[in-house]
Amino acid sequence: MKLERAATALPRHGWQLLPLRFHRIDADSVVLTNLVGEHVFVTPDELSAVVDGTCTDQELLARLRAAHLIQVPGETLPAELLAIKLRTRMRRLPDSTGLHIFVVTLRCEHTCRYCQVSRQSAAKNEFDMTEQTARRALELAFRSPSPHLKIEFQGGEPLLNFPLVRWITAEANRMNEEHGKELAFVIATNLALLDEEILGFCAEEQIHISTSLDGPQDLHNGNRRRPGRDSWQQAVAGIRRVQERLGKDRVSALMTTTEASLDRAAEIIDTYAELGLRGVFLRPISPYGFALRGRGGANYDVDRWLEFYAAGLDQIVELNRQGVPMVEMYASIIAKKMLTNADPGYVDLTSPAGIGIGALVYNYDGDIYASDEGRMLAEMGDRTFRLGTVHDSSYADIMLSDALLNPLTESITLSAPMCATCAFEPYCGADPVFHHATMGDFTGHKALSAFCRRNMGVFTLLLRKMRDDRYFRDLLWRWAQ
Amino acid sequence: MLKLIGRADASGLAGPVADDVWRVCLPENADSDGGGTDREGPAMSIACLLRDGQDAPPGYGLYLMAGHEAGNRLGMLGAARSTGSLVSSMPGPVLRLGPELAHLDAGDIIHVPDDGHRVAVLWKKSARHNALLLTEQCDNYCLMCSQPPKDRDDAWLFDRARKVISLLPQGARALGLTGGEPTLHADALIGLLEHCKRVAPWLSVHLLSNGRRFADPEFTRRYAAVGLADIMVGIPVYAPEPGLHDFIVQAAGAFEETVHGILNLASLGQAVEIRVVVQRHTVPVLPNLAAFIVRNLPFIAQVALMGLEMTGLARPNSPLVWADPADYQRELAEAVDILATAGIATRIYNHQLCVLDRRLWPYAVRSISDWKNDYLDICRTCSVRDACGGVFTTSGNRLSQHLRPIP
Repeated sequence: MKLERAATALPRHGWQLLPLRFHRIDADSVVLTNLVGEHVFVTPDELSAVVDGTCTDQELLARLRAAHLIQVPGETLPAELLAIKLRTRMRRLPDSTGLHIFVVTLRCEHTCRYCQVSRQSAAKNEFDMTEQTARRALELAFRSPSPHLKIEFQGGEPLLNFPLVRWITAEANRMNEEHGKELAFVIATNLALLDEEILGFCAEEQIHISTSLDGPQDLHNGNRRRPGRDSWQQAVAGIRRVQERLGKDRVSALMTTTEASLDRAAEIIDTYAELGLRGVFLRPISPYGFALRGRGGANYDVDRWLEFYAAGLDQIVELNRQGVPMVEMYASIIAKKMLTNADPGYVDLTSPAGIGIGALVYNYDGDIYASDEGRMLAEMGDRTFRLGTVHDSSYADIMLSDALLNPLTESITLSAPMCATCAFEPYCGADPVFHHATMGDFTGHKALSAFCRRNMGVFTLLLRKMRDDRYFRDLLWRWAQ
Repeated sequence: MLKLIGRADASGLAGPVADDVWRVCLPENADSDGGGTDREGPAMSIACLLRDGQDAPPGYGLYLMAGHEAGNRLGMLGAARSTGSLVSSMPGPVLRLGPELAHLDAGDIIHVPDDGHRVAVLWKKSARHNALLLTEQCDNYCLMCSQPPKDRDDAWLFDRARKVISLLPQGARALGLTGGEPTLHADALIGLLEHCKRVAPWLSVHLLSNGRRFADPEFTRRYAAVGLADIMVGIPVYAPEPGLHDFIVQAAGAFEETVHGILNLASLGQAVEIRVVVQRHTVPVLPNLAAFIVRNLPFIAQVALMGLEMTGLARPNSPLVWADPADYQRELAEAVDILATAGIATRIYNHQLCVLDRRLWPYAVRSISDWKNDYLDICRTCSVRDACGGVFTTSGNRLSQHLRPIP
């Protein structure tokens, strides 16, 4: 043998640290992450020895070298591979703004406790979008460089202005003959107004249905009030109709967590499973609109929500073990960021933030907002995230406005205080709207931020489970794809 | 198992054989042996195979006699009377083949050295895989190398390969190019690939290389510029970091060059397969290696996880490299899970099904070449024998202790 094993081992002080960040996830375990979020678990003593240059554990040093956390002076490959991975992660950025939200009406026949925006007793034309407004919005939407455009119809209850939904769909398809983009449509609806005509239209245009389902009947109907107290029955019947008519994967549901949900995670998951829904998005309540004022069930702290999240995740894992495939959507977004070089570009968990460059919102009256939350703040009188109006703003006006660029640049996690040094930075995102709403500035003080505390909790939970449970690790690998 | 080298009785030769590489045809279907008349290569390099005293049609540069008659007579070499009368009745030079070459058939390609005492089969038309050895030189010296490098001038191997490619029978689909390290002879290799594109552009070519030469962008550019429609290079990566990889291949700096080579190939849209030999040192890092591939080299066409062939350097290094497959199923399964989940085509080569986790069977490929696979006595009652690649005859007795028939 020409080359002894020892000759390729790392000598004492024979390595340099690559950019790495660390976080203690429990008493004897620290997670190290590199620039793109590859991670290795070590003990606190091991971390000290690696940083001090006194480590003699060749197996550990080899693992850190493989994960591009350390390198030998002079080698160039680790930096090149890190650069490729970082470029891969960032490559979606030039293709900005894939999601365009059309608020076709603010009217709604529901009076949900946590709703931020809807109006009930309004004259028809007062809160409906017009064709003229919609046409201008479409023209702006097609200016986006993204080769994929998703047009999402929101409200209020968008089916209350179904003629405009039809009109926009036809007009977008017509305009796309020239642009050749990959076009997709989503209707966010409570399904109460679903009828044969709408189903036929959705079938023809391959429209995806996104609905709300908070869990079991009493929980759902307690949150989502409408005359007849039958919101849950309407939603469930609607989901079944869509599944039968359009296919299992053409309808998904979102739940909103309220205080009443917190002890009922397993029941909520089971409701989804019984309906054959394959994904649950365990969401926190948002601090906007009516919800922020404290009468919307938002008065529970982050730690209670984390307990709820953990319980829900456990139930989902258990269902998978029993052979019922189900995905927790938030974990799957994070898994992608932990285990692959892709950034799914989820608006609330990406940096630069997803406002404007990930999504644009066209309000019924033609006002343009950088995000749905920005629109909700405006309904409360804070128009910080209003970028302009379809009636007299050009695409350049909107995308180069201070109202967009300031929050984007001031919140980038790679430079934000506490984010820049956080081990979870590659998994997390910038949320200037949240921090503006809760703290009055786009960056926010992360030590006091509920956004930070919640996400740190989720990352830590997922990492611990991956470390300890092979089944969970495999599941998360699958969700990451 | 087929024997690819056999004895021959050269007493029917008047002098040195006119050529060293011949394609075999049968007298009754000389036109359908697959020879293309429009292709480069001496038309005379067609040898006519006569079985059991068939009449010899005129016009061939060499006649091969096979069958009982030839076999029997081989035992009586020097029986000049019968040989003499036979030769005089033939329209050209005659070689009589030993019984181990009874499998020779139309479309096979053989190598006949000057003296004619030996015949080597270079191409078996009926085989799923055929590979041509291009050199025995290598700049790696892998601990488990089954084909230990020899540092001697063997440029003739490239010439021979070129002739084989010229003579390839119709229906030849897949060509393996192996070594040694073929890229050590950059000009010869590029020339051979260009030749291949000229005379057999339909071929699916699989080149085995340690990948280091591809770290040179200019060489990689030339390789890609050949423009073969279907070529893949199989490159071994044994560890996710240089320390272990360089030790296994016994060459400092090899990992960095190999991975650079893979990146250069990918940047030019060239198909790359990663080959991992599972041995004592690679077993513990298999999951980490899989994760490294998924994260850093996700563009590769496939990963092959290969069982050890206990021949060549693997024998003297046996204590250093041997791992019983039954003892590494956990690591192997975890690596396969990581790769397959990430959508990377994953195959397991050279593993007997009876020592493979049943969950991994869908990934197992009957990969051991026809000429060096065999089954043991205990395999006779095995229910999955036909789906199994068997064992390497070249591995001798160094086999898993856990081989057993599957009921």
